Amino acid sequence: MLRTLGGDVATVILGQNATPEALSALRESLGLDRPWTTQYLDWVSGLFRGDLGTSYSARFDIFEQIQSRLTVTLALVMGAVLVSSVLAYLAGTYAALHVRDRRGSLIDVIAQIGLSVPTFLSGLLLIGFGAIRLGWFPAGGYVSWTVDPAASFRSLVLPVLALATPVTAVLTRYVRSAMLDVINEDYIRTAMSKGRTRSASLVIHGTRNASITLVTVITLQIGALLTGAVVIENVFTLPGLGSMLVTAVQGREAIVVQSVAFVVLLLILGLNFAMDLAYGVLDPRIRTAGVDRS
Amino acid sequence: MTPLPSEPTGTLAETVDSVPSRLKMAVHGFRQAPIAFRFGGILVIAFIAVAFTSIWWTPHDPIAIAVEKRLAPPGWPHLLGTDALGRDVLSQLMEGARNSLLIGGLATIAAMVPGVAVGLLAASAARNKRLLLSRAADVGVALPGILIALVLATAIGPSNLTSVLAIIAWFTPVVVRLTIGPARQVLALPFVEAARAYGRGRSFIALRHVLPNIGPLLIVQASAMFAAAILIEAALSYLGVGAPRPTPSWGRMLNESQSLIEIAPTLVAFPGLAIMGAVLGFNLLGDGLRVLLDPRQEAHTVAV
Repeated sequence: MLRTLGGDVATVILGQNATPEALSALRESLGLDRPWTTQYLDWVSGLFRGDLGTSYSARFDIFEQIQSRLTVTLALVMGAVLVSSVLAYLAGTYAALHVRDRRGSLIDVIAQIGLSVPTFLSGLLLIGFGAIRLGWFPAGGYVSWTVDPAASFRSLVLPVLALATPVTAVLTRYVRSAMLDVINEDYIRTAMSKGRTRSASLVIHGTRNASITLVTVITLQIGALLTGAVVIENVFTLPGLGSMLVTAVQGREAIVVQSVAFVVLLLILGLNFAMDLAYGVLDPRIRTAGVDRS
Repeated sequence: MTPLPSEPTGTLAETVDSVPSRLKMAVHGFRQAPIAFRFGGILVIAFIAVAFTSIWWTPHDPIAIAVEKRLAPPGWPHLLGTDALGRDVLSQLMEGARNSLLIGGLATIAAMVPGVAVGLLAASAARNKRLLLSRAADVGVALPGILIALVLATAIGPSNLTSVLAIIAWFTPVVVRLTIGPARQVLALPFVEAARAYGRGRSFIALRHVLPNIGPLLIVQASAMFAAAILIEAALSYLGVGAPRPTPSWGRMLNESQSLIEIAPTLVAFPGLAIMGAVLGFNLLGDGLRVLLDPRQEAHTVAV
């Protein structure tokens, strides 16, 4: 679909001043002179064989490249989900407990600001502070898990924090309202009459309720998380799917773009499925209700 | 604060004269509003004012390169300093505001109109058609918008048009989904039944009865989307997919100054603050409107 308009790879590779003969020779050797329908069918049939073809200019095998980059992106997204749910749970519960005083409003203000900071700005600020000023973490790049686990972890800390910022802000507001839904329930009053403090009973009985909301909102934020990952990978020069995608767009490599897009769509389906399973674990009503749960 | 005249005094003519003007009413309402809403409103008005001013006047030519004056710190005559090519940062920020406002406004309006139309159509359609349309919207919402944007950029090249089209494709399904639910709630109300019994057609009911009732909610959404659109535009131009050089844009200013963060941190700070301020303004405005118009509705937020 997109290769019909797809810019000209040959011009990008050879530059603006290439002769028409050289261009057409290159197009022929890359198979770009064939009709786009043939090229597309070729790519689709390759999908079933796990062969997505070879990049035009860098000559790498797209499938292998995606495999190695997928782990980086997944680590980034999963890390951000983990960090933001924990932070949002703490902040949201705190805000719900202090809903009528300054401390609760302070959380609201911070969440509102967190929502307004673009990830590339928080990324740059983290680089400026955590990497340059303090020197605790690298400003960019990625070390493979198999080479050096500690360095690999350190290289992911700042990107994960940057990616988690807006998601934490969104999640905090939902956790807060989920906790507020629970706070007036009879069972909280019962727990308090049995001698628990208000905060203890809310933490014990509200957590499950809030966790269901968390899963729902995280599912809705998956698209946003992947979008953020694309940006963050470019800020921190991480070798993930996002930076691969942007490089491919700049080089007009339609085949790479559509391959990565395809894998990302699969990833979304997979993550949605994982979230559906998480629902079943958290809410027994869903597990027992079987297929019909609308 | 001057209190509004509450009791009629004097003759009838004097009473009519003392009825406050619309402007006074607006100012009074604004003063009564929550502080977050007022702050948001001020930020948004400032943003729009700067964007419009830049059409006629900027302190310097924003794209004039003067290498001998490069990386000047904030001061005089360049209030916010100059960048690596000696271009005036303040002028670039002003023109960048215009770019953001233009793209955010265009994209939000262009996504709201078809989104609301399809949403109303789906809400008042028969069951099968409705489910089909809302499933299609669900799929659209699940797609990461950046994917649409990058695929578009490969197809038609980086430009402002790419940003606008990508944001439209990103938001339209969201608007559809946010319209269907409330529209169906209104359709279940007795006065709609009465209109139906009177013989009004589906489109008449949708436009005259449903649309005005979900209007406040749509305005809140539009404000939240405007904020998201500004963020997305900045992200796209940061990635080099948005406005091409030399059009000043906040995202690309950040991208260009990223490597200079150690030498000239203000080059990162000013465009960053500009993006934050504009987005925060529209977010707060939307949130305040939501509280004022429809307290039960949770705003849809897009994190970028």
